[in-house]
Amino acid sequence: MFDLTEDPLDPGPVVEDVRHPGSGAVVVFLGIVRDEDHGRRVRYLEYDSYRSMAEKEMRKVGEEVLARWPATRIAMRHRFGRLEVGETALVAAVSAPHRGDAFEACRYAIDRIKEIVPIWKKEVWEDGEAWLEGHPVQG
Amino acid sequence: MRVRVRLFAGLTELAGGPEVVVDLEEGAKVRDLEDQLGRKYPRLKPLLASLAFAVDEEYKTRDYALHNNDEIALIPPISGGRDV
Repeated sequence: MFDLTEDPLDPGPVVEDVRHPGSGAVVVFLGIVRDEDHGRRVRYLEYDSYRSMAEKEMRKVGEEVLARWPATRIAMRHRFGRLEVGETALVAAVSAPHRGDAFEACRYAIDRIKEIVPIWKKEVWEDGEAWLEGHPVQG
Repeated sequence: MRVRVRLFAGLTELAGGPEVVVDLEEGAKVRDLEDQLGRKYPRLKPLLASLAFAVDEEYKTRDYALHNNDEIALIPPISGGRDV
């Protein structure tokens, strides 16, 4: 499962997608909308995405994870549109026979998402708004 | 030839919409499109160097040769959780 949705995220189905009898560990990461950024109070976030390409690139991240940690399974679901403070923007779940690989692979997957998956966020504060600067993609 | 260019996030406002159509010489490469966009949309120009280009949903270098009807996306720096 590698997809984007406009609906509120439920970690359950993402976890179930990777859980199997050979997995002794499942690591789940939730990315949450924080109430402040560099001292500014955040009202809400707006996520824009190149949806079809974002899903493809998420799948590529999944393939990279499987190449490095062959015994893992991975699933990721990202939300877009308007998200309120405290809501979940991203769910990633990785299962592995043992916890070490699950933690490492999950960390790797999240870092790669921030590098190559075309999703952007706009912060809306009490007194203004801005699209956030991030990593230029290494083409 | 003619290509469609999709814009996202803050670029949409700078180009006046989420999609623009650009006419290019036959054999044009991504960097020719980049030059053309800089001329046509002066407000985009300072940002072009920081963008990546995707052609039909795949990242391509500025040397990549474009084709008629290609869908090109301007990919600004990706922002989500900068802090670790």
